[in-house]
Amino acid sequence: MNSRDKRPNFFVREIPFIVLLVFWVIYAGIEIIRDRLDLLTSIIPTGLFIIAYIVVKLISKDQAGQK
Amino acid sequence: MDTFLALELIALALTGLLIWHSASTRGAAFTWMFFPGGALLGLVRENVVAQVAALNLYSYNPATFHLWIGAAPLILMVFWSYTIYLALTFSETIIGGDLIGGKRRVWIILLSMAFMASYACLNEAFAGIYPMVLWKFKPALTVWGSTPAMALWGYAGMALIFLLTLLLVYKLRIRTLYRVLIFCASVVVMIPLHLLWIAIFRLATSAIG
Repeated sequence: MNSRDKRPNFFVREIPFIVLLVFWVIYAGIEIIRDRLDLLTSIIPTGLFIIAYIVVKLISKDQAGQK
Repeated sequence: MDTFLALELIALALTGLLIWHSASTRGAAFTWMFFPGGALLGLVRENVVAQVAALNLYSYNPATFHLWIGAAPLILMVFWSYTIYLALTFSETIIGGDLIGGKRRVWIILLSMAFMASYACLNEAFAGIYPMVLWKFKPALTVWGSTPAMALWGYAGMALIFLLTLLLVYKLRIRTLYRVLIFCASVVVMIPLHLLWIAIFRLATSAIG
């Protein structure tokens, strides 16, 4: 059976989100510890993608629930 | 354990998770092309950039990285793969498209480029704490203080070149093994294209410096 035929579980589906979140938190965390946090470069640009991803996921979940 | 060594090991482990995700959701052919191709691209490109003095770009800081392959840190073997994979997956999800399937392909590539530029910001800000590269020239244009604008342009260009080449090779009607081999071999085209991409930016911004 092709691996795409079977829908992977929630954890596997969300691996990219988890990976980006881990990098984001580690980088920002180290910057905070070293007192070098730069909101404009470290937090906001990738943070916008994270927010957009969550919003799209919530909307699609909501739409699936309405059907 | 040194913090940066831990980070290098974490990045390798997280890339393993992304390979798992790719194999589960995109299939074996895509995964065999994307990750080995990306690894070869990182290995060759970063060694070329670090060792060819005529390019006058940068070399890697031996005081920061612990694991090496030649003149490039081992982490660069997975760096381009995982950043472009994240860029592609986030873009496809946000836009609701499918690069391979052909749904909103242009928008996916453009958003992937934007993602890569934003990831460059994150990485370059972090480089303020752990100087990862030793620049061989003073960047003519910086954004938000110290981030070289060339890095944003370079990351975005890598996504564009990598994804277009991947798409082109993936669509060939030949056996998966041949597609994997052709994509891996295409790093000899992708690297000069990316260096040209960077050279265009340096030329365009040289007047500013």
